[in-house]
Amino acid sequence: MVERNERKPYWRHTKAQMLASLLPFVIAVIVLPLYAEPLNDKRVLGVPLGYFLVCHGLIIIAFVTVAMFVNRQDAIDHWHGAHEDL
Amino acid sequence: MAFTTARTRLVNPRLGTYFGIFTSAFVALTMLALLLELMGTGDGFVRSLMFFGPLLLYGGIGILVPARAIGDYFASGRRVPAFFNGAGLAVSAIGGAGLLALTGTFIITGVDAFALSIGWMTGLVFMAILFTPFLRKFGAYTLPTFFGRRFESRLVRFAAAAVLLVPLMLLILAEARFAAYAAGWLLGQSERWMAVLVIALVTGLLALGGMRAMNWSSVAKCIVCYIAIMVPVTVVAVMINKIPLPQMTHGNVLVPLTRAEAARGVPFVVAPAATVDLPSTASEPLVKRFVQPFGAIGGLGFVLLTFVVAGGIAASPGLLARAGTAPGVYDSRKSSGWAVLIVGLIMMTVPAVATYFRFMLLDQVVGRASSDVPAWFEMLQQAGIAKLEAKTQLILLSQIGFERDAGLFSLPIAAGMPQVLVYLAIVGALAAALAALASSMMAAAAICSEDLVIALIDEEAPDAARIGVARLAVCAIGFVAVWLALLARGDPLEFFMWGLNFLAATCFPLLLLSIWWKRTNAWGAVAGLGTGFVVTLLLMLLNEWSFIGMSSMIAAALSAPCAILAAVTTTLLTPVPGRTMLDVVHEIRVPGGETVYDRETRLARLKGRGQA
Repeated sequence: MVERNERKPYWRHTKAQMLASLLPFVIAVIVLPLYAEPLNDKRVLGVPLGYFLVCHGLIIIAFVTVAMFVNRQDAIDHWHGAHEDL
Repeated sequence: MAFTTARTRLVNPRLGTYFGIFTSAFVALTMLALLLELMGTGDGFVRSLMFFGPLLLYGGIGILVPARAIGDYFASGRRVPAFFNGAGLAVSAIGGAGLLALTGTFIITGVDAFALSIGWMTGLVFMAILFTPFLRKFGAYTLPTFFGRRFESRLVRFAAAAVLLVPLMLLILAEARFAAYAAGWLLGQSERWMAVLVIALVTGLLALGGMRAMNWSSVAKCIVCYIAIMVPVTVVAVMINKIPLPQMTHGNVLVPLTRAEAARGVPFVVAPAATVDLPSTASEPLVKRFVQPFGAIGGLGFVLLTFVVAGGIAASPGLLARAGTAPGVYDSRKSSGWAVLIVGLIMMTVPAVATYFRFMLLDQVVGRASSDVPAWFEMLQQAGIAKLEAKTQLILLSQIGFERDAGLFSLPIAAGMPQVLVYLAIVGALAAALAALASSMMAAAAICSEDLVIALIDEEAPDAARIGVARLAVCAIGFVAVWLALLARGDPLEFFMWGLNFLAATCFPLLLLSIWWKRTNAWGAVAGLGTGFVVTLLLMLLNEWSFIGMSSMIAAALSAPCAILAAVTTTLLTPVPGRTMLDVVHEIRVPGGETVYDRETRLARLKGRGQA
C-alpha cells in the first residue's frame, strides 16, 4: 500500500501520464482525418497515404497508446509503492 | 513467479483448451453445413443448422457456468483473465451496430464512416485510461452504486439509476433490432417475432447465469464474430489481390476504384461543415465517391460525431461493468488493451468489406445496360437489398439504392460464394448483436435490482435475496425490451446513436469529474446529470420538430460541455466534500489494497452479525 506522503507525488505522476497518453492521441484523432485527403496523392504499399493513416494509422496509434499507458502506469505504480499485492 | 500468485490461482488454467474445443466445434458445424449444401440438402435445414447450432453452443456455455454466489452473478467471480475479458468487452462494444450498420455506412457514404469507427476506437482508449482502473479498484456492481458511494448520496444514486436506464433501453432496443434483423435473414421469419425470440434467449441466459454466463458466452461470440467477418473477406482478398490479408490489401483496390468512379462520372459531393447525414434503413442511393471525405458528414460534424461516439462508448455501463470482472486493476488495464486490439482489427476489416463490394459494383454493374447485370446483382435485387432505378440506357452508380444493414453479407453473395458463407457472415453479426444486447440488459437489470429495489428495501439483504431480485429484474427488462421492440418502428442505428448521446452527455462528464476532480460534490453531480440529460433531450426534440438544424446524432457535442459546466459551477458554489468522501477518492486512485466495495460489504455484514 502506498505511503501517505507518497500519495500526492503518485497522483501527480499518474495525471501527467494520463495527459501524456491522451493528448497526442486526441490531436491525431482530430487532425489526421481533416487533413488526410491532400496526402492521398502519395502511396504507401500501393495504398493512398491519407487513407492509410486514417484507416490503419489511427488504430495502430490507439493500440500503442493503450499498450504504453499500461506499461508506464504499471511502472509508476511500482515506483511509488502503489502497486497491487500479488 | 507470476504463475504462483494468489490472484492467478483463481483463474481457470484450462480456458484456452475449452475455447479451442468451442472453436473446433463451430468450424466443424460450418463445414458440415457446407457439405450439406454441396450435397443438395434443403436450404431451410442448412439455415436452421447455422442459426440453432451456434445458439446451442452459447446456451451450453451459459448452462455450464451457473452463478450461485453474488460475486459470480454480478462480477463473474472477478476471475476473468485479461485476454478473455478484453474479447468479451470487444464483441459487446462492436455489437450489431458495428458489424451491420457500420459496414453499410461505409458502402453508402465511403470514408465519412470513419467518424464512427474512429469514435469506437477513441471511446475504448478513453475508457482504458480514464475510467477502467479506478472502477475496478472500487469494484461496485453498477455505476449508480459507485456514484452513490463516491458522493455519499442516495439522491445521486437514484438520479444516476433513473438517467442511465434511458440510454440503456435505447441500446437494448437497437441491438435487439439488429439481432432480429440478422435472425430474420437466417430463418426467413418476420423481424418482430425474431426480436421476441432473441430477447427471450438472452433473458434466459442472464436469468440463469448473470454476468458469469454472459461473460463466457460473450468470449464464444467474439470467436464466432471474428471467424464470420474474416473468412468471406479473406477469400475475396485472395480472389482479387492474391494475398489473404484484406486489412492491408484492400487499399490497393482504392486506386482502380477511384479511377472507375471518375470514369463513370460519380460526382464530388461537399456537405456543409456541421452536417451529419448517416444512412437510414430505407434504400439509400450511392451518390458520392468512396475516398472523397466530407460528402455526407461535414468536417466539423466528423470531429463532433467522433467524440460523441467516443464519449458514449467510454461511459457505457454495460461495457464498464466488465472492469469489475478482471482479477485486479492491472488485469483490467490489460483487458482494455486486448479490447482495443481486437476491435481495431475488426475496424480495419469493415472498410475492406465495403471497398471490395463497391469495387465489384463499379466493375460489374455500373456502366452496363439494366438487362445485362450479373446474376449476383439480380439476387440482391430479388432479396430487396439492392434497388435499381435505371432512367438511362446505362446504369449509373447513383441509380443504385442499397439497404444499409445488408452490407456485411452482400459481399459473399457478390463474390459468388456458397450460401453457407453468406449465412456465416449473418451468424457473426447475430453473435455480436446478442453479446451487446446481453451486456446492456445485464447492466440495466443490475441497476434496477441493486440501485432501485435493494437500495430502497434493505441494503444489507442476504445474497440469495439480491440474486433473486436481480433474476426478476432481468425478466422485467426482458418484458420491457420485447414491448419496445414490438412497438418501436424507427431506425436501430438512430436508437443506438441517441443512446450514445445520452451517455456522452450524462455518464461521461460525471465519471470524469468524480474520478479526476476530487472537489466534485453531490450537488455538482446532480446538476451535471440533470443538465446533460435535459439539454440532450431538448436538442433532440428541437431537431425532430425542425426548429434547429443541428443533427440529433451529435446533440451531446453541446450538452456534454453544458453538463460539465453545470457540475463545476454548482460544485464551486456548494460546500467541499467531507473527509470520508475524499478518502474514497484517494483510495480508488491507488491500485494496491483490497477492492473497496468488497471490503465495505464484508465489514457491513460482520457489523450486522455483531449486532445480531
